[in-house]
Amino acid sequence: MTDEGDRAPGPEETLKLIEAQRAATVRRLKGDPLLLYGPWGVAWLLGFGMLFLHYGLDGEPYVRITQMQSVSVLLSLQVLAGAVAAYGITRMSVQTRGESSARGAMYGYAWFAGMTLMVIIAMRMSSLLPPHENGLLWAGVSMLVVGVLYMAGGAIWLDWTMFFVGVWVMAVNGVGVLLGAGWHALLSAVLLGGGFLAGSLWMRRRG
Amino acid sequence: MTAAGGLPELDPVIHAQARLRVVATLNTLGERDEMAFPSLRDLLDMTAGNLSVHLTKLEEAGYVRITKTHKGRTPVTYVALTRRGRLAFDDYTKAIRALLDTAGGSS
Repeated sequence: MTDEGDRAPGPEETLKLIEAQRAATVRRLKGDPLLLYGPWGVAWLLGFGMLFLHYGLDGEPYVRITQMQSVSVLLSLQVLAGAVAAYGITRMSVQTRGESSARGAMYGYAWFAGMTLMVIIAMRMSSLLPPHENGLLWAGVSMLVVGVLYMAGGAIWLDWTMFFVGVWVMAVNGVGVLLGAGWHALLSAVLLGGGFLAGSLWMRRRG
Repeated sequence: MTAAGGLPELDPVIHAQARLRVVATLNTLGERDEMAFPSLRDLLDMTAGNLSVHLTKLEEAGYVRITKTHKGRTPVTYVALTRRGRLAFDDYTKAIRALLDTAGGSS
């Protein structure tokens, strides 16, 4: 049998080798941040951007787009982002099996359940609210689900970045809802949409 | 300080660069997780034949567990570090650190 594994180098290089291999594995199993975070960034930047142009900050729309149009763009881009993320997660999960895959699957179902319930609650309530508050209900509750699940994801995988991404979403969402529909759309587009895009590029560059 | 006296023994199964990388990779997974063979091969950038040889050695030592199964009709092979393999890797890194300390401490 060939043993071309060569003797390991000195202790210092050996430790470096171990660390490099560990880092490469973690990177590989975590998936591509551009795939997992990027599409959400695009969805929120464009979707909330359109909503913001529709609401305006002082109640006067900046551009003539209906609320229906902006909400449809936001929702369909979010569905697309969810699909891309699901693809990224599936591609990651075929690499391993065991407890981690089960964990990932349960987490995926939690997203699905959260978003479904968001739609049910918002549909039930929306007829009772004036248009601006109605849009804020959809946006606020959906971002609540996103924020909670990112924080929970951080807890599941002991990933501080993910946890603080969730904290960030919760904070922006909370302030936005308090300030009203126009501000919520503006803050979500810039801080969450732009933030996720910038963050995914930064994480990818950092490797 | 005597050079040979207190030096820890390095596990010869792990103390070969290729197998060290295999074990270090598998040690990164959760304790009850297994990695698919092709992913391990890509991650280590080895040929399938080469990797198989090293896995066989590790399996003989009781350090890895190899499971062959089917996903639909395609055969899939999963590789995991055993408890014994994990302990051996722990001991190995401890020994390396000890070596480093000795090297740094003796003047």
